Amino acid sequence: MVKKFLLLVLISPLFSETSLEKNCLSCHIKEKIPSELIYRRYLTRYSTHRAIKSTLLSYLKNPKKRDSIMPKQFFLKFPEKKFVDLNSSLLEKNIDDYIDYFDLKKQLKLSK
Amino acid sequence: MLHSEKRSLFRFLAIYLSSTFLLFLLATFIFYNFQKHHIIDTQEQELKIQAKEISQTLRQLNETFSKPLLYPNKAPFKSAIYNLDKAYIFGSFRPHKIQWEKEYYQEKSKLFHIHSIYPYYLGASYLVVSKPLNQKPIEQLIKLSLLFLLIAGTIFTLLGLFLGKLFIAPMKESIHNMNKFIEDTTHELNTPISTILTNIELLDTIYDCEGKQEMRRIEIASKTLSRLYEDLTYLKLNHNYHREIIVLNISELILERIEYFNTLIEAKKILLKCSIEKDTTLNIDKNDAIRMVDNLISNAIKYNKKEGELSVILTNQELTIQDTGVGIKAENIQIIQSRFKRDNQNEGGFGIGLDIVGQVVKRYNFNFKIISKINKGTKVVITW
Repeated sequence: MVKKFLLLVLISPLFSETSLEKNCLSCHIKEKIPSELIYRRYLTRYSTHRAIKSTLLSYLKNPKKRDSIMPKQFFLKFPEKKFVDLNSSLLEKNIDDYIDYFDLKKQLKLSK
Repeated sequence: MLHSEKRSLFRFLAIYLSSTFLLFLLATFIFYNFQKHHIIDTQEQELKIQAKEISQTLRQLNETFSKPLLYPNKAPFKSAIYNLDKAYIFGSFRPHKIQWEKEYYQEKSKLFHIHSIYPYYLGASYLVVSKPLNQKPIEQLIKLSLLFLLIAGTIFTLLGLFLGKLFIAPMKESIHNMNKFIEDTTHELNTPISTILTNIELLDTIYDCEGKQEMRRIEIASKTLSRLYEDLTYLKLNHNYHREIIVLNISELILERIEYFNTLIEAKKILLKCSIEKDTTLNIDKNDAIRMVDNLISNAIKYNKKEGELSVILTNQELTIQDTGVGIKAENIQIIQSRFKRDNQNEGGFGIGLDIVGQVVKRYNFNFKIISKINKGTKVVITW
């Protein structure tokens, strides 16, 4: 019994969904909304983690098409973001995780 | 070449060459700096081109979603990307300290270029590109500048010598003419002076004639002329004159010369005090010794007061000749040792006496000291 409990404790994180996956990515995957493309667009416009976070936070609190940095054509193909009622700290955590998830530093390698 | 000619030539060359060299040095410095900046500018342009190439690659990487993203790395260039907050993102190097306010800068032997990027591909706002400074063209430039200075220096030194000789040619001609004149004049004077002196001596010995006073005056005037002739001949022939260095009994020579000047001493009623150490010898040419002693005694008589004192002291080490005359101003003591310079213009002469003494003293490495007080007298000490 104790052994079964310990095994469950150990493997449970592998099957548990993160807050980012649950609150953001799950819908993005379902709707086939390109999360990385959106991140790159924010990165190209704002450069820093701090500036991206601040812009995303303000957008997600009150998402409107006119405030989005995505081009008009983007909304022809993908649905407009709907308001998600998340508390501020959770929203900030999700944004931090989102930025870290797609962080380019992890993807860059020096060519030989 | 005479001493005065050499001095004039050296002065001219010193002024000409120093000013020319300074001018060339300045020109070379300006040229070197200009060329060095040009070399560095060229290398900075290479950095700029490389920065543009890397920017293009960043743009392509920004649009690529396949992983990994390969960051460009092309030797000898090193680069790094920074975000808008100047925080390091990625790169092939990580500089210790970046001078963000400058577009280009040099640190030690490396050149740096800060290239701004917009839009911020991969979040990069700044791209810092660096490469080692290629020192070869600068080293070549230094060699070229030094070679230029050396060649220009040689050419202008030769030109300076040529111009200097042209510059002193009129002076040389004047000196030559003057020497020729003195030579001719002294030659013409020699025979009559010798005739006068010989005949005075003859008259004095054979005839007990009246007018002894007048005869003495003629003798004094003739001896003065004779000495002047000897001095001028000495100066004229000084360079070509063959010296015979002998062990000279200077004690006997001084006594002889005092005897020679006796008429002048008596005429001025000077009290002569002699202290001559017997059989003192010197290794010297006799004519040089005569000219030195004669000029010192002659000056001591000429510039002495009437009924003054003249002391001649000879020891193994030195010769001292002291008078109680008008003295020499302290500031003129050095000047009167030059040719044609005199402190007192009231007495006759050409101002060549102390110049001759100075030449003899210098030739034999003696020491020459003049101690004088105005209206008290002058003491000349020659030490060997």
